Amino acid sequence: MVKRYEAGGMSFHLDVPQLDVRRGAKIALVGESGSGKSTLLELLAMILRPTGCGVFTFSPASQRESRQSHDSHDIAAVWQSVDMDRLSDLRSRHIGYVLQAGGLLPYLSVHDNINLSRRLLEGPGEDVAAHWAAKLNIAAQLGKKPAALSVGQQQRVAIARALAHEPTVLIADEPTAAVDPMNAGRIMDLMVGLVDDLGVTLIVASHAHELMRRAGLDLIEHRIVASDAESMRVTVDSANE
Amino acid sequence: MQTNKASRRLVAELALRDFAHERVMSACFVFSLSAVLLPLLVLFGLKFGIIGNLLEPLKEDPRYRQIQPAGSGRYGPDWFDAMAARSDVAFIVPRTRAIAATMRLRAPDGGSGRIISVELIPSATGDPVLQGLEPPSDFDAVVLSLDAADKLGVASGDAVEGILSRTLDGEQQTELLPLTVSAVAPAAAFARDGMFVSRDLLVAVEDFRDGRAVPALGWGGRAAVDGPRFFAGFRLYARSIDDVAGLRSGLMDQGIDVRSRLADIELVQALDRNLGIVFWVIAGVAAVGYGLAFGSSVWANVDRKRREFSLLRLTGFRTGAIVWFPILQAMLTGLLGWLIACLVFFVVQAGLNTLFADTVGGGDSVCRLLPVHFLIALVLTLAAAGIAAASGGHRLARLEPSLALRAA
Repeated sequence: MVKRYEAGGMSFHLDVPQLDVRRGAKIALVGESGSGKSTLLELLAMILRPTGCGVFTFSPASQRESRQSHDSHDIAAVWQSVDMDRLSDLRSRHIGYVLQAGGLLPYLSVHDNINLSRRLLEGPGEDVAAHWAAKLNIAAQLGKKPAALSVGQQQRVAIARALAHEPTVLIADEPTAAVDPMNAGRIMDLMVGLVDDLGVTLIVASHAHELMRRAGLDLIEHRIVASDAESMRVTVDSANE
Repeated sequence: MQTNKASRRLVAELALRDFAHERVMSACFVFSLSAVLLPLLVLFGLKFGIIGNLLEPLKEDPRYRQIQPAGSGRYGPDWFDAMAARSDVAFIVPRTRAIAATMRLRAPDGGSGRIISVELIPSATGDPVLQGLEPPSDFDAVVLSLDAADKLGVASGDAVEGILSRTLDGEQQTELLPLTVSAVAPAAAFARDGMFVSRDLLVAVEDFRDGRAVPALGWGGRAAVDGPRFFAGFRLYARSIDDVAGLRSGLMDQGIDVRSRLADIELVQALDRNLGIVFWVIAGVAAVGYGLAFGSSVWANVDRKRREFSLLRLTGFRTGAIVWFPILQAMLTGLLGWLIACLVFFVVQAGLNTLFADTVGGGDSVCRLLPVHFLIALVLTLAAAGIAAASGGHRLARLEPSLALRAA
């Protein structure tokens, strides 16, 4: 899979010859800032259209369906088509996404932010916000708006929201970059613990090698193959690791 | 799996909560809409009220719809049938020569004891000036003008006596005709001493004056003329003031010289037209300006919230559902703006009507709108909001989601 784009007079070239992520794996994409980690996460989250794509297969076995179906989706083919709703549906069902910061809707309370992904998927129904808030130690914040929370608390809410609809894959883009190191360690441990309990696949992008290693994630390096003033070429290849 | 309906409902809920969350910003949009809509409502209310005040008397007073022949002519039954069949004619009855259409009257018992001379006015069912009073009929029932009834000292239901005289072959002849006052016409119907009579009675009086016999009343004289009867004139009323011009030119084309109040009608109609043009020019300019302002604010809002929209997309909301977000907010802004404009309009209206209460007649309002006008204002506002929001939605659909996410 290849993604090329130009920004600010720089051309960027991300090359992914091969990247296999098994169900239940916990991997960390590591590399310098600007090495295309967020880009790769967005490609994996099916939100960013790849420039070129040989094979991109998504074979989720969600928590609820693991026994009956092992459905497989040819994402490369969907990008060729115009059926973007199919990607939206896959995202709403299988992907939980945690942004570096500010991934919450400012006009919803913590409670409603956590419930949002599940309500989209299932409509009004079971209220799971309290359950997830307890797991992430933010039960006291349920009634507040995100603006009243510290960054660390916001990230916990974002993780709760990303897991509340019980996705197959949790994708986190620098989830701890905006919080202090103490908090970062705690949040990572909490996240990994939850992911292990649920059997969710975890893909994190981070520039903090040590933190990722300590949390027990397999590291995959963004290698800068060539870089000068005008262009940068990055390769990510799980076969190398 | 998400359904379109469920996710759209969820987006609607989010849009409303965002609207409430940013209440200061929302209120700014709402008030800016009201600020444009209110002057338009007041302006149109004034136009409608003032023109209404000028048009009302024209519409209500049948004299503005009357078309009178300028001289005397010769109109036969075929002509009257053809005129009565026209859709722009409300009422037409034949009229005899003016010299023949008079009668002396007295109240036989009681009353003032005076004898007065009245003009005879042919009438029938549907006579506009009698305004629903029982019309005269046969040779007996008549309707007196108010002046005539006052002078005779009679009221509805009383008996009067008509006195007709002629000189036939050098001999003075007088006939007495017992009549019943079936009603007294309002003052506006006829300003002099007059009596509304049936066509038959009018014809009988003319025949008597001409020295002919009237067998139905037992009056002797020369034998009646055979063949169709021709009349010297007519009483004609157009269906509405808008029909007067067409009817008048139709008669002129037939070579019939007529008099009408067309000039008065056209003056008000011209005023209506000109005020209408002024109004629509102002409304048009305001609407275009408002549309641009509203559209750009929706556009800017989409831009401001692109990160949140991207977040919704990342959560898995379909683009088709997310575009409801700005559309719904724009509609809500339009609805609230319209509501406020209407409420303030009523205050302004009350103030204006009090201010000009002395200028216009009692009960008339200088500024007023009908419920349908408010409804039209609402529909136009929502349409403008919809168009503005559609441009915002179009922008939203084209946003590259991932770039917005990283612009944190």
